[in-house]
Amino acid sequence: MAQQLQSINLVAPAFKGINTEDSPLAQDPSFAEIADNAVIDKRGRLAARKGYDVITTPSTSEYLVVDDTDGFAVGETVTGGTSNATAVITLLHSSTEILIDATRSGTFTASETITGSDSSNTATFSSISTSASLGSSAIRMVHEFENDQGNTEIISAGNSKIFTGTRKLVDATPGSYTITADNWKAVNFNNKTYLFQRAHEPLVYDGSSVVKLSSVTGAAGIASRYGNEVLSAFGRLWVADISADKSTVYWSDLLIGHDFEGGTSGSINLAKVWPDGYDEIVGLAAHNSLLIIFGRHSIVVYQGAEAPATMALADTVSGVGCVDRDTIQYTGTDVIFLSHTGLRSFGRTIREKSMPVSSLSKTITKDIIGLIQGENNFFRSVYSPEESFYLLTFVGQTTTFCFDVRGSLEDGSFRVTRWPGSEFTAYTRLQNGSLYIGSEDGISKYDGYSDNGTSYRFKYFSPSLTFGDTSRLKILKKVKPTLVGANSATVFMKFAYDFATSYRTTEFTVGNQNPAFFNVNEFGTDSSPLSEFTGGELTNQRSLNAVGSGSTVVVGLESDINGFALSLQEINLLALMGKTV
Amino acid sequence: MPEWLQNLLGGAAGAGLLFKAYERLGDVGDDALTGMAELAETQLEQAAFRPYTVTSATGSQFGITQDPTTGQFQYGLQLSPEEQAFQQRMFGRAGDFFTTPRGAAGLTDAGIEAVERGREFMGQAAMPTMDREQAVFERIRAAQRPEEERQRLATEERLAAQGRLGLRTAQFGGAPEQFALAQAQEEARNRAMLSAMQQAQAEQAQQAQIGSQFAGLGSELMRQRMGLQQAGQQLGMTALGASYLPQAQLLSAITPGMTAAGQQQQAQMYGTGLFGEARATGLEALLGASLGQANLAGALGGGLLSGVLGSGYDFDIPVIG
Repeated sequence: MAQQLQSINLVAPAFKGINTEDSPLAQDPSFAEIADNAVIDKRGRLAARKGYDVITTPSTSEYLVVDDTDGFAVGETVTGGTSNATAVITLLHSSTEILIDATRSGTFTASETITGSDSSNTATFSSISTSASLGSSAIRMVHEFENDQGNTEIISAGNSKIFTGTRKLVDATPGSYTITADNWKAVNFNNKTYLFQRAHEPLVYDGSSVVKLSSVTGAAGIASRYGNEVLSAFGRLWVADISADKSTVYWSDLLIGHDFEGGTSGSINLAKVWPDGYDEIVGLAAHNSLLIIFGRHSIVVYQGAEAPATMALADTVSGVGCVDRDTIQYTGTDVIFLSHTGLRSFGRTIREKSMPVSSLSKTITKDIIGLIQGENNFFRSVYSPEESFYLLTFVGQTTTFCFDVRGSLEDGSFRVTRWPGSEFTAYTRLQNGSLYIGSEDGISKYDGYSDNGTSYRFKYFSPSLTFGDTSRLKILKKVKPTLVGANSATVFMKFAYDFATSYRTTEFTVGNQNPAFFNVNEFGTDSSPLSEFTGGELTNQRSLNAVGSGSTVVVGLESDINGFALSLQEINLLALMGKTV
Repeated sequence: MPEWLQNLLGGAAGAGLLFKAYERLGDVGDDALTGMAELAETQLEQAAFRPYTVTSATGSQFGITQDPTTGQFQYGLQLSPEEQAFQQRMFGRAGDFFTTPRGAAGLTDAGIEAVERGREFMGQAAMPTMDREQAVFERIRAAQRPEEERQRLATEERLAAQGRLGLRTAQFGGAPEQFALAQAQEEARNRAMLSAMQQAQAEQAQQAQIGSQFAGLGSELMRQRMGLQQAGQQLGMTALGASYLPQAQLLSAITPGMTAAGQQQQAQMYGTGLFGEARATGLEALLGASLGQANLAGALGGGLLSGVLGSGYDFDIPVIG
């Protein structure tokens, strides 16, 4: 007698993120065993992450340095009046620099006049410049400098250099200054950007040049402040994690980041404060008028840091510390950091006046501990309220965890996905909400759905599904995914029985739908009809036949993301319940 | 009889008479001398001082004697036993008074002691006050330190509870509380120092005052001692005067006696004079008679001789008279 097909509808599968902690058999189907290169999108669905667009031009790209770029047009050819050399304008980079493509012919001569082929605009050529080379290194630090007038500029570091600019990296390393590492931390403070790194004299950027902090007029006490951690808060610079003194926090004079000896500057040695007797300062944070000092195994919180001389201990947390200063991020209402047992946050309870610490990565605790222990390079993190995630990258292991911060699970954890193979080596969120990423390619922007033109694989695998009865055989008949987006993408639907690692795969290609945008004629200029609007997001439902049987079923979906978003709306599984095994 | 013989016999008789007259004259002289000498001796004897004794009514005596050998006069005063006792008592008292008056030694010792003390105090007052200031300062600090230590410990505990033990600030050095405590302690130390200086100076002034008081006391004691000695001397002098009072009284008392003795002496001298005059008159009469005899014998003898020897020989026999 034929049985009725039993349907398991995985609506918004994996919207709770991955869970590698609980037993697969007991897991909620809303978890995922694997969710690679995915995020939880705005509708709570598992979706492919964005890619990155490299902004920085290769060091081989050439910039024509002229007296004035006004009047030239992108795409036109400029010709040297003397040399007859030609080049196609790719970008008017600045008022004095024109980015040209690689098709330059001939060699421009200094002081000759160049003329635009279309605009007939002229300028005086002086030289060709290129972006500073990263060599085999990567951008290890990206920071946005913003002055009092609201002008911003990107400062970055890599290849033992300090750079300014994004598209064209300009080496701004001070003369006679040797950099042996690129693990800088930069903070904005009082119209300047201060850069600190272990065993390096701090640097300061004032909007025009990067100089050694000791060279600033009035600088004092710099020699003993070569800290690895710096915090700009409460009107001061706070420096800690000095190689020879890992228990002392130093603060500058009020609004004077280069004076650590005069005025109201000072220090506090935590050697007698650590709740566990001994610890080393790893990071600093300021939150809710509290100065939070992260040790490796404990946390000390001071209140009243607006007047450091009278600030007092507010709370201590023992047994929980911070792995790395670059894992500390502010979410506005909380402070997130990576401890040795996972991602954690300070929750704030005003009534109890206590500082409970909750774990945000309970679903991947073992994974993250393994990565922490295996990391021999460094960590990078960023919080993006626009993307609603906190990214934590284990640079040495090219793995990034993406924690969705819009909500938390029942146990307080963030929903988390994994971005394997990510070569991200630095992050910064700009004031305009853009997310800049550092990599070997230079500075990139988290945008689009390809990694600088290269596809990346989105993966979803469900936990082992038992259909409510682990003892009976399941005969999978239909797999019906519903995808949103994924224009023209090839999707690989996979399933396997009984914890097998070899999956049965079936693939299909999602339909094509070119979006039409406002004021853009879908069918070309003067076409008829003149334009057409799309019908909304491309939704693709497929019904795929399945074979085989087993007591547990794992369903997976993979797709190379190359230019279009992909969201997994739901997966409907139809199965027959077989005999008891 | 021959003439010659007669002459011879006449001559011899004249010569014998002359000689007899001569001898007579010598005898007269001798007799006069002897008589006058005897008179003189008699008068001398009669006029010789006769010791006498005056006895007063109180029994004291005044007597004058002459040393029979040397002829020196000696007079003696003999007080009555009561007067002697009184005199001795007065002498003794005067001696007592002239010796260091009773209590003067104590005053002297006390005065010297006071002066010495005054000198000591003055000496101390003249010394620099630095050591004393330090000593007073240490005493004050010793009293302050326990409380300061308690405050320091309390601050330390408070800072430890606030996690601020390791606080170092350019503004305060350490924590503001530590600075305030240190400031308070320094102020207390400064106050202690000033108090110590004031105390030392006050003590110095006090020592000077005490020294002055002791010196004044010493001077007063010495002055009192001198007064006492002066009074003693006065009393001694009074006693001494009183001791001579019996003698004076004796001397006063002998005046009448002396007058009587003088009158007696005068009477004696007058009597002696009368005796002498009478005796001398007798001697003169005797001498005159002798001279007459001698002159007669001489004239006779001279006549005889002149008769014998011729007129060529004139025996001018001086007439004694």
